Amino acid sequence: MSAKRAAICAVAQLPFEKAIWHKRIQEMCFDVVEPVLEQTGVKFCKKPGDGGIRSIVTVSDDVFDARTISNNAIQDAVGAHNRGEDKVAMDGINAIAYAVSCILSGHDDLILLVGHCKESQAESRNMCTNLAFDPFYLRPLGLDFETLNALQARDYMAKSGVTDEHLAKVVVRSRRNAAKNPVANARDEVTMEEVMNSPMAYDPLRELHIYPQSDGAIAMLIAGEDRVKEFTGKPVWVSGFGNCMDSYFPGDKDLASNFPLKKAAKLAYRMAGVTDPAKEFDFAELNDAAAYQLPMWAEGVGLCADGAGGEWIDGGGMEKMNVNPSGGMLAGNPIMLGGLARAAELVIQLRGDAGERQVAGARRGVANGTTGAAGQLQSVLVLENDRAGR
Amino acid sequence: MAEYFGTTVEDIFRTQDSRFRPEGAEGVDVVVAYNISGAGGGRWKLTVKDGASKTEKLKDDDFGGFTAKMSADAETFVGVAVGQLDGAAMFTSGKLKGEGDMSVLMKLPMMFTKYMPPKKGITAADILATAVERFRPDMAGDLDITVGYKLSGEGGGEWTAVIKDGKCALEEGLRDGLTVTNIASASDYVDLMLGKLDPLVAIGAGRLQLKGDMETAQKLPKLFSKFIPPEASSGPELIVLKKTISVDMKYSTGRMMGKFLKGLKEKKILANKCPECGRRQVPPREICAACVCRAEEFVEVGPEGVITMIEYVYYASPDPLTGETRETPYGVAIILLDGCEGNETMWHLLKSDELDSFKRGDRIRPVWAEERTGNLFDIKYFEKVR
Repeated sequence: MSAKRAAICAVAQLPFEKAIWHKRIQEMCFDVVEPVLEQTGVKFCKKPGDGGIRSIVTVSDDVFDARTISNNAIQDAVGAHNRGEDKVAMDGINAIAYAVSCILSGHDDLILLVGHCKESQAESRNMCTNLAFDPFYLRPLGLDFETLNALQARDYMAKSGVTDEHLAKVVVRSRRNAAKNPVANARDEVTMEEVMNSPMAYDPLRELHIYPQSDGAIAMLIAGEDRVKEFTGKPVWVSGFGNCMDSYFPGDKDLASNFPLKKAAKLAYRMAGVTDPAKEFDFAELNDAAAYQLPMWAEGVGLCADGAGGEWIDGGGMEKMNVNPSGGMLAGNPIMLGGLARAAELVIQLRGDAGERQVAGARRGVANGTTGAAGQLQSVLVLENDRAGR
Repeated sequence: MAEYFGTTVEDIFRTQDSRFRPEGAEGVDVVVAYNISGAGGGRWKLTVKDGASKTEKLKDDDFGGFTAKMSADAETFVGVAVGQLDGAAMFTSGKLKGEGDMSVLMKLPMMFTKYMPPKKGITAADILATAVERFRPDMAGDLDITVGYKLSGEGGGEWTAVIKDGKCALEEGLRDGLTVTNIASASDYVDLMLGKLDPLVAIGAGRLQLKGDMETAQKLPKLFSKFIPPEASSGPELIVLKKTISVDMKYSTGRMMGKFLKGLKEKKILANKCPECGRRQVPPREICAACVCRAEEFVEVGPEGVITMIEYVYYASPDPLTGETRETPYGVAIILLDGCEGNETMWHLLKSDELDSFKRGDRIRPVWAEERTGNLFDIKYFEKVR
């Protein structure tokens, strides 16, 4: 029998670090699986019908792991041995949607989700993201995610009146919030001057405008409505999801148009019954791999008027809307886990477990995740707790 | 001589005796006849006897007596020899035929190391042969000059490019009264043309000498478009771009694999043991997959053990780090080390000059490298316990 809705019952994150050089990816995965088992008391299925975990959804990337079919290598650490496992090779926020689809379709009523990414393993993450492009045209031009993000930044900043100073504000605030987030990577506070004097990396993006190299892992337990009570008294319901893909060749698209995110948000909001995002969300987590993306994605998900990113920052929009209490991706999440880490923060906030950075009375939040450069694939997730009153 | 896959039938037979492995031919006494048809083909006869091999090219069709005979067209034969075509598939499709004692043909890969085609570079002659098509009349205008190339060493020779009336012709030999003469070794000339050697550096070091009219000499590079090696371009469309994808990686061993490798340095083989099911894993890993729990107890196993399965590899994958194909045949064994049971096995290589003698159930022991660095090949291979 299929469930009508699904909830995230537990989340665990391995503190994000510049280089978790002392662990294999397998141990990084088990480090997050173990606390999920402890928090919920869930067991792995030993025989059919015993109620244990039988389906696992993982998130990883072959190039970053330098291993063909990267999920095969971690089967022992995620409990997939003798069970079912599927891999999502995109931002892990899409794995939540995949897990929920498994539950709503009746395929299974309990899913363990495990994502890992170790950016430090490669000599340069830019060499890995360069491989995302085609070999004849875009690779030889030297494109990687950061160079393409910089092109989008220039286009977007001109369109929305966002300046170097605005970007500095975003970074300063990210670090301030990250200081209160025990799993964040970049937790040292910085000043406006430090950001504005940080070296130009990919004009107009400075070094401090770009998320730092990060390693980490995240696990979640997701259950169908009927089983949620077995694992938690504080379920976080997945009430909406949508995604939308932009062109692969950057020359084909208007980099500042934001249409994939707008469309993904529209789909997610229709599913979640959200009509006025600027009012109905208590907080948001936006996948800002570079500082300009915070206001740009805020426009895309409807927290800020189209083309008004600069004014929105000046008017205290980030604070009023409680955007990125975790510090955001700018505080350091590996590329495959950007959106998944945003979703993890939503869960922690909605469970009231966020400690010093808790958004008071949080009932409903929105997160986005991006796959590819310049937000090529945008995914939007709406999560809420029982206080949201549905 | 007709070339296939960058080499010839003749080359393969010419080098065959030097590739003979007496250890792979113990007690063998056979005559193998080869009938290779098509361009570049011919008839050869191989005699293996008393631990020696003799390969001879026959002038006529008379093979005399033979133990086994192999027939193929030249392309198929070369393709199989260099590993570009699958021998078994060629047999099945009938492109490679055998008669007589077929088991002899199956043993040939054991008797000879694999043929490696010579790595071919671009020669000076290859480059000069393209001079006429690379000539740019628009840059030459009404120049009326003769340019000599005096290239010494292997692949060298003497050529003259005659440029007149907006046309370029290439002649062998040096004309009298050359406007400019280029003097260099053939290999330096090739490097110059491929952009591997800087012309100013070459002139400064005396490796490229220009004689005659210096004003004309300075114009020369502009008179020809750049030489592009043939593999870089192959026709106007449906181009195949050859690239190596390469990102340097830093793989962490973690605690378990790290301790295993350190153990090898100390001539110890370490396994880990699951606290729940008691199962051992070689090499040790953090998690017992069956119980999904941490398994951090180490136990020393082996070093001797028993072969449970053997595999001989005749067609090796290239080593991704070097691009070289390792020497075949080689043997891999699944080994049940002392102290382990069931599927608690370890894999490693078998001593290559004893490959014929290994069988399931044999007791084997590791042969340790003299200098051990904490690496899988601190065990060179396993050999029989005698």
